[in-house]
Amino acid sequence: MSLAAEAFVSQIAAAEPWPENATLYQPLKEDQILLSDSASSLAVQTFLRMCGLPVLVSCRANAEYMSPSGKVPFIHVGNQVVSELGLIVQFTKAKGHSLSDGLDDVQRAEMKAYMELVNNMLLTAELYIQWCDDYTATEISRPRYSSPYSWPLNHILAYQKQWEVRRKMNAIGWSGKSLEQVYEDVSQCCQALSQRLGTQPYFFNKQPTELDALVFGHLFTILTTQLTNDELAEKVKSYTNLLSFCHRIEQAYFKEHDRESQSGSSRHSKGSLP
Amino acid sequence: MGTVHARSLDPLPMQGPELGVQADDMDLGEPEQEEKQEVLENKDVVVQHVHIDGLGRTKEDILTYEVADVFRAKNLIDVMKKSHEARQKLLRLGIFRHVEVVIDTTEGADALPNGLDVTFEVKELRRMTGSYNTMVGNNEGSMVLGLKLPNVFGRAEKLTFQFSYGTKETSYGLSFFKPQPGHFERNFSINLYKVTGQFPWSSLRETDRGVSTEFSFPIWRTNHTLKWEGVWRELGCLARTASFSVREESGHSLKSSLSHTMVIDTRNSTILPRKGALLKINQELAGYTGGDVSFLKEDFEIQLNKTLFWDSVLSTSLWGGMLLPLGDKPSSIADRFYLGGPTSVRGYSMYSIGPQSEGDYLGGEAFWAGGLHLYTPLPFRPGRGGFGELFRTHFFLNAGNLCNLNYGEGPRAHLSKLAECIRWSYGAGIVLRLGNIARLELNYCIPMGVQSGDRICDGVQFGAGIRFL
Repeated sequence: MSLAAEAFVSQIAAAEPWPENATLYQPLKEDQILLSDSASSLAVQTFLRMCGLPVLVSCRANAEYMSPSGKVPFIHVGNQVVSELGLIVQFTKAKGHSLSDGLDDVQRAEMKAYMELVNNMLLTAELYIQWCDDYTATEISRPRYSSPYSWPLNHILAYQKQWEVRRKMNAIGWSGKSLEQVYEDVSQCCQALSQRLGTQPYFFNKQPTELDALVFGHLFTILTTQLTNDELAEKVKSYTNLLSFCHRIEQAYFKEHDRESQSGSSRHSKGSLP
Repeated sequence: MGTVHARSLDPLPMQGPELGVQADDMDLGEPEQEEKQEVLENKDVVVQHVHIDGLGRTKEDILTYEVADVFRAKNLIDVMKKSHEARQKLLRLGIFRHVEVVIDTTEGADALPNGLDVTFEVKELRRMTGSYNTMVGNNEGSMVLGLKLPNVFGRAEKLTFQFSYGTKETSYGLSFFKPQPGHFERNFSINLYKVTGQFPWSSLRETDRGVSTEFSFPIWRTNHTLKWEGVWRELGCLARTASFSVREESGHSLKSSLSHTMVIDTRNSTILPRKGALLKINQELAGYTGGDVSFLKEDFEIQLNKTLFWDSVLSTSLWGGMLLPLGDKPSSIADRFYLGGPTSVRGYSMYSIGPQSEGDYLGGEAFWAGGLHLYTPLPFRPGRGGFGELFRTHFFLNAGNLCNLNYGEGPRAHLSKLAECIRWSYGAGIVLRLGNIARLELNYCIPMGVQSGDRICDGVQFGAGIRFL
């Protein structure tokens, strides 16, 4: 959108308060959603809870196609549709809710840098493991992705998605990496996060920001999702402060609400944290 | 009309009109003066041989059916009539460029004194014909390539391929058609296609990739078609401002359906008929041969035409349809019916009647529409006998309704729901007939019964199409 259009939308957004029936759309939780989408969705849900904004979660088989940018999750607020965490943060800021107001410019730049790190490393690694690792793709990703559709559409869509992700990996230079290298990258990313977190409760001061929401979304999902092997979860578990960080946020924002919305039992998710 | 050459058995003059054959091309031998005149109609003849010359790849067995009737002719007039009919049948196969008939007396050892030889001189169509067009439309240009292979394997099979490559969309279609030898009306065809459509009235974009097979056969006076179709449908929003109801329908679905159509058409022409009637009933059952969508769809079309005094024609038509979703999933926007526009209820914008959400029309599960037209030749008949004959003035009255039914209630409730909030319109205009396929209309319409949410187009409305209410 052009700058003028964005400013206009922000104005419109600012004009209305947050409605009661704001809804977040994601793929079907039991059978369809994959690790990367689940992580993104959890990050957005955590962020909205941290802001104190109510949102209903609605699972749709075609959530990915409903989204204006093609990525899940997206929220439907009033008559606006916004997808992806970055844009949602901007949108809620226009409505007057923000978590990062207390940060100065240096800290804000640092926060953005770490968010980019998570998006470029963790999210890409998740996508790599899901779609470029043949075993995982065959056992988990393709069957789950295509579960709402009937034959032969299920195969067509699953392979189409796989080719698309592989092309993207090619474009960013990840196709040459082996699975071990990807695990190494994840480990390094976690190390950077762990170092930044240190012994603090949250990444910045004592208040959570969108960075906390994003990191929690990804790490929690990695820890509680059953893949073909446990290597990814092990890499994260080796950093104890990240583990306690996830516990802390889970306790603070999810335990007092209905349990089934987050750590509900499903064959894909292992339930609560180990 | 081709030419019919005939050498007379006896040197007697033959007079054209009495033979019941269009004789403007007849090339007669020189009539010789004879005192005794024998009337040819009573002379018995026997058709001994029928030849077909000029065959290349066409297999003879399919042609024997078409010309078999000629052998049954008993006298010369009959021979000429039957060979004319056989010629029409050969041309209808679509494999010959032209067909000429030559009737001659038999020569040779086994020749009977009243024996005749009929020869059909045919020229086959070329093995492959191609066409290339460029089209420019609303903000888009496209290149269209067409290939046609008539008579691929020698038995009147036809293969056509069309490919359109545009700045916005690409589409293609491949079709194979095969008639049953001897019964051209019984045929089957297989189609493979990808089409894309943009529907601004619903802010919807639809891409269909599908395969279908159909069988057509006549039963008594009706024509039936059975079709299986498998389509991969992809729906998307046309603009970022599409309503959420349309956004919810985005995504992929697979439709596998069986359909049956019955047509009785006694009209003398498809466009601006002067007499006759049309009845077309179509049903479609989806979901029982696979796929994601499951529904039963019925629709019908009735049209009656009658010529009144002074060359004017009164025409009434009635359309209706119903969609019943089976199972618990609601119906998809791509399956529902739409109403309104210059080709259905005039005076309303294209498909802009019925349920809508934020300006996007969602279609409905049941509809009916009726029209009453009076077509008259242009006043003062300009260009009579020529160009002016293509135009007609018409006065019309259209009505219709589109809604969703609550299937839990009984038929009485359904009828009352369809009868409330009827939209109707009346007006007059000029119709131009384009060949035998399409027509253009320019009307002045006055819409009435407009409900909130409908979009009207009162005043002058232009329409072009092949199927009008």
